Parts: sequence; C-alpha cells; structure tokens
Amino acid sequence: MTEQEIIKLTNQVFEDSFEIEKELLKKEMNIFQDLGLDSLDIVDLVVALQEKFGVKIRNDERIKSIRTLGDIYKFITALKAEGSTPAADSQK
Amino acid sequence: MKKSFILICFNTIFYLLFILFSFVGIPLFSLIVAIQSVFISHRKAMGKFRRAISWYGLVIIKALPYPFVTVRYKDLDKTKIAGPFIFTCNHRSASDPFLMSCLPYEFVQVVNIWPFKLPVLGFMARSAGYLSVREMPFEAFSEKAEKLLKDGVSIVAFPEGTRSVDGSLGQFHGSIFRVALKTGYPVVPVCITGNERIPARGTLLLRPGTVKIHKLSPVTNYEYAGLTPYKLKNVVRQLIADEIEVMEGRGND
Repeated sequence: MTEQEIIKLTNQVFEDSFEIEKELLKKEMNIFQDLGLDSLDIVDLVVALQEKFGVKIRNDERIKSIRTLGDIYKFITALKAEGSTPAADSQK
Repeated sequence: MKKSFILICFNTIFYLLFILFSFVGIPLFSLIVAIQSVFISHRKAMGKFRRAISWYGLVIIKALPYPFVTVRYKDLDKTKIAGPFIFTCNHRSASDPFLMSCLPYEFVQVVNIWPFKLPVLGFMARSAGYLSVREMPFEAFSEKAEKLLKDGVSIVAFPEGTRSVDGSLGQFHGSIFRVALKTGYPVVPVCITGNERIPARGTLLLRPGTVKIHKLSPVTNYEYAGLTPYKLKNVVRQLIADEIEVMEGRGND
C-alpha cells in the first residue's frame, strides 16, 4: 500500500465516520484542536481505522502521541511496514 | 479612583452577602426539604431541592449584584415542545452555572471535579444529583443521565469542558450528545454573553455589566437522528456560535 493510498483511506475514515469536509483534512490539522475530536471520538476512530486497514491499533502505545492527521498517516504507514495483517483490505 | 472605590465596595458587599446567604440559605433550604421528605416521596423531595437550588441561584445572580450586574434572559424557543431537555451552553465564566437558574425547569448540571470540592456548594451539588463527568466512565455517566431524563429531570452541560480563555467558543466534548443520541431527548442550545468579566477567568473580581442569556429552539430527535455524535455536537456548536455572533452584534439577527 502506497503512502498516497494510506492518506486517501484515512481521509475516507474521517469523512465517513465524522462527516468532516474534505477541505479540512490536511496533514497539519490537529485532530483535537482543529478537528474537534474528543476521547470518545478517538475510540470510534481507532475502531474505524482498524476495520479500514486491517491492523491492530487499540493497545499500541504510539497512539497516545498522535496529535495531527499527519501523525496518523505516519502511524498507519509504520504499522503497514511492520506487516500487520491485511485482513480488511476487502472492506475498502 | 472613584470607579475603583465603587468596584471594591460592590465586590465586598456582594461577597459578604454571597457567603452569608450560602452558609445560611443552603442549610436552611436543605433542612426544609429534609423535613418535607419525611412526608413526601423521594422523587418529589428531590424536585423541591433542585427548585430550591434554582431560587438560590436566582438570588445570587439577580438580587445580590443588582444594580451593577443585570441579567436578561430570553426564551427564543419557537416550538414550545415539552421537556425534559438536554441543555448545552457555552462557558466563559464561573458565573455560568449560577446563570442556569434562569432556566425554568428542574435540572441537574454536568460539572467538573472541582465544584464538588467547594464548601457548602459542593455538598449541595452532590446532594442534588449533579453529574461529575470526569469521575465516572462514560457508560456510568450515560446510565445516570438517562435515568434522570426518564424521571423528567433536564440536564445542563457545558460541552467545552472548561471556561474559555479568550471568549472564543472552544471545541465540544461529545459525551452529552451521545446521551442525546441514545435517549432521543431534545438538545437545547443556550448562549451566554456579557459575563466574560463577571468574574473573568483567574480572578474573583466582578465587573459591572449586562449578561444576556438566550435559550434557542430545541434540536429534536427527528432532526438529529442518524447523525454521528461528532456531527451532532458540531451542529449544536454552530447554532451557539451563530447566536453569540448575533448577541454580540457581529452577526445577522
């Protein structure tokens, strides 16, 4: 999966799960301050990302340091590179 | 010089009366309700206790600071549907919870941890069933809120979670909107302006001014069904932001 594909699919999660306008989805956007997600939204986000990418995120400590959309792209890219199960590619 | 003197006099008198009224009024209200509760049901006694808290709040916000601070409450609800409601309000000042006394409903407030630690007021809030959202997991909060709503008790929340630093409307937390989506009760936006310095964040000094409170039409289950919690909180946030613009003379009436 290329970086561009990861960005596209992550943005899709934000559009589908939170109905956030495409124009707001830039890598420098802070997901809390700029996009207004709260702790409960993060739980929904984690579930949606897990389904979208077929990766396990819930217990990953790195998630605590995520602040921007760009951090999420990097995190998913790293997970994919580490070879997490590609189970949910069919759900795209 | 003269202005400063008047300000000091106003604040001294206000806080003396505030302390006196709180330390005498609250135990007195509590005692009266406690005596009544022997003869009436627990539910009715709680209703009376919460009404008593609203009267207490009205004295604090309308009588004690008068004429230096005036409060103008407007009900802009065009639907007039019956409650209970989930009120969601912007948060600029420590006076906001007191100003909610203008709402003519039986309600409890969703509060942070620290109000429960205040002498007398904390006891009163805990006894009235106020919800300390940070001291319980969301599921417990949701269950308690649902039970209150089913009992006919409205809920007042400040979804920004903390007072605004610069007066701007902060991002909203979604807990109370998840409760709305789960229970289907109407969400009512409430807007407060003019109390940014009554008192300002980080001080107890009250400045003279006029506080405006606008209660808007409810967003009903019919309107919000199918929205995500994130979308609902932002729909309500936008309604509040638009009304604040109007109230402050920056928007279209």
